[in-house]
Amino acid sequence: MLNSKFLENKKKLNRLFFYGVPDLLLQRTPGIYPHFELLQPMIPCNAILRLSFLYISITFSVFILHAQDGKQLFSTKCASCHNIFKDLTGPKLGGVLEKEKYGGDPKKTYEWIRNSTSLVNSDPYYSALKNQWGSVMTAFPDLKDAEIDAIWDYINKTYAAGNKPKPAGDDTAKDDLKKANQNSVIFGIITLILAIIALILAYVNSNLKKMSDDAEGIIRPEPVPFYKNKFYIALLSVLLFVVGGYLLAKGAIGLGRQTNYQPEQPIYYSHKVHAGINQINCLYCHSSAWESKHASIPSVNVCMNCHKAIQAYEKGPEIIDENGNKIDGTAEIQKLYKYAGFDPKNAAKWDPSKAKPIEWVRIHNLPDHVYFNHAQHVRVGKIQCQTCHGEITNMHEVKQVSELSMGWCINCHRQTKVDFNYSEGKGNQFYSIYEKFHNEIKKGKMDSITVSHIGGLECQKCHY
Amino acid sequence: MKKIFYIISIFLLAAGFAGCNKPRRSPGRIYMPDMTYNRAYETYTSTEELKKSGATYTGMPVAGTVARDESAWNYPYGNDSAGYALSKNISNPLPKLNDEQFQEAERLYLIHCAICHGAKLDGNGPLYKDGDGPYPAKPATLVGDPKYETMADGTMYHSITYGINAMGSYASQLSPEQRWMIIHYIREKQKPGSGKSGSSVADSSAVTKMVKK
Repeated sequence: MLNSKFLENKKKLNRLFFYGVPDLLLQRTPGIYPHFELLQPMIPCNAILRLSFLYISITFSVFILHAQDGKQLFSTKCASCHNIFKDLTGPKLGGVLEKEKYGGDPKKTYEWIRNSTSLVNSDPYYSALKNQWGSVMTAFPDLKDAEIDAIWDYINKTYAAGNKPKPAGDDTAKDDLKKANQNSVIFGIITLILAIIALILAYVNSNLKKMSDDAEGIIRPEPVPFYKNKFYIALLSVLLFVVGGYLLAKGAIGLGRQTNYQPEQPIYYSHKVHAGINQINCLYCHSSAWESKHASIPSVNVCMNCHKAIQAYEKGPEIIDENGNKIDGTAEIQKLYKYAGFDPKNAAKWDPSKAKPIEWVRIHNLPDHVYFNHAQHVRVGKIQCQTCHGEITNMHEVKQVSELSMGWCINCHRQTKVDFNYSEGKGNQFYSIYEKFHNEIKKGKMDSITVSHIGGLECQKCHY
Repeated sequence: MKKIFYIISIFLLAAGFAGCNKPRRSPGRIYMPDMTYNRAYETYTSTEELKKSGATYTGMPVAGTVARDESAWNYPYGNDSAGYALSKNISNPLPKLNDEQFQEAERLYLIHCAICHGAKLDGNGPLYKDGDGPYPAKPATLVGDPKYETMADGTMYHSITYGINAMGSYASQLSPEQRWMIIHYIREKQKPGSGKSGSSVADSSAVTKMVKK
C-alpha cells in the first residue's frame, strides 16, 4: 500500500531532520545537553546554534508546508476532475488505491499520473478504466514523486478524517414555524376563554339588575329581545351592507388577479438556495429576459450544467416548505435526474438530447389582451427583477408578489424616471429623438422624464 | 347583548386571519376566458392536445435550421476528442473588443462563468468557495494557471460550446459571438497588469519551489 510506504519514507526523513541534526549539534556543544536551553545567550557556540536553529526551522517549515502543499497541488492539478469523497469526471480519490488492481503500488501510480495514455495502451486493466470513465486522465508529466506523495498524503489524511461535508442543520426556521403555530393555538384558546367569561358576565349582569329591580319594587317593561329591537336590526343591516359590499367589490376586483399565487411545482426548486445562498444570477437561467419578450424557463441542460456534479443537497440550510414539511434536497435533485435521463453512476454516458422537459407550473399569467416585454424592461429600462417579482432570493417557493393589474402597471409608468442622460457613444441614443423634452429640461420647465411622458400610458402600447 | 355581537365578529375576524397563512395554490377564476387565453399556441403552452389531434409537432427546429447569423460563426469540429484536439487550430474570429463590447463581455462572463470561475477569474466562484460551496469540482483557474493562459482560443471555444469534464455546454445560453467575446475578455484579463488576481496560485508555486529544495 502506498499509504504505509509513504509513511515509512516520511519517518526516515523525520529521523534525519528532527533527530539527526540536534544530535549532531548536541555532540558538538557539550554542557547544554541536560538542560537543552538552546536560547540561552551565554552558550559559546552561538553562531553554530543559530545556524542550526535556522536549519531546523527551515526543515520544519518544509514539513508543515508539505501537507499544505499537497492541498494546493490537489486543488490546482486534480480537483477539477476528482473529489475526495465523490465520483466526478474521475473516480473519488479517497480510498481509491485500496480498490486498485495494483494495491496502490507507488511506481504504477507515478507512471499513471505522469503518462496515463501509455498505461491505457499497454495494460488491459487501465483500458477497462478508460471505458468505465469515458476518458483518459490528463497526464501530469511535470509532477515529481515527492509532489505526488504530498497529494496522496493530503487525500489520505482528509479521507481518514472523514472531512465529509455535513449538512449544516439550520433548525431555527423549523423552530420559528413551530413557535408560530403554538402561538396561534394559545391565542385562540385565550380568546375562547375570554369570550365565555364575557358571555357569563353579561348574563350575570342582566340577572342582577333584574333582581335589584325586583327588590326595589321597580317595575320595568319586559325587555324586547334583541332580534326584535329595531336599533339592532338597523345596525346589523348597515354593517352587512358595508362589509358585504366591501367583500363583494374586493372579490370582483380580485377576479382574474393572482397575487400570492404559489403553485406546487413538479420539483421543489428553491430560489432561495439557488439565487440567494449560491448567488446564481437570475439571467443565468432566465437568460432570454435580456433579449426577448419572455423570461425563459431554463431547459434541463441548464440545470444539469451544475447538477451533473452537484448530486446532493448537503451544505445548505434545512428547507421547510409552505405546508411545514421538511424537504429533502437530494431527493429533489434525483427527480431532476429522472427528467434528464441522467444516471449519476454512469455520468460519462449521459445523453442530454434524451432529456424530457419538466412541466413547471406557470405563476405569472397575463391575459392574452396584454402585451408585456421582458427585454424592454430589464435591458432598456434597467429594472431589477425584484422590482416586480419581489424578494426572489428569500423565497424557497416562488409566489406572485405584484398584482400585475393595469393600475399597478400604470402607476409604475407614472413614477419611473427614464434615464435621459445620453451623450455621444454613451447611454441610450434612442432618447435623442425627444427634442422637446430635452429643451424643456434645459430651460428648467421639467426636471425629469417619466415613462408616461414618452408614451407609457398609451393604450396601444400594451393593448393591440 | 351587544357584547355577543362583538364576540361573534371577533371570532369571524380571527378565523379570517387564520385562513391567510395558507399558501394560495390555485390561480383563481377569471372574467372572460376567451380574452385571457389565446386560441393560438403560445410560448410554453402544452402541446399535448396538438399531439392528440394527430399533428406532428416536436418543438424542435427543422433539421438543418440555421440560426440568424449562425453561418458567420461556423465551427467545424464535433463534440469528440478528435475535435477537441483539432480545436487549437482555430483562432478568435472577432476583432479586439471596444469598450462597449468589453463591458458586455464582462456582463456575460459575470452571469454565466463567474458563478464557478470567479469574478476574479481565479477559479473560486460562489459555487466552489475553496471547497465550501456545493460544487465538488475545482473550477479552472483562468488567470494565473499556465494551462489556461496558453490554451488556444479554439480549445476554449470548443469547451464552452460542448462542455468539458465537469463543465456543461453553454451553447444554449451563449451565442457563438458571445462565446468569442467572453474568450476575448478572458484573454484581456490574463494580460499582466489588468487587475490580475491569481494570488493563490502564485503562492502555491512558491511553496512548490521550497519543497523541491
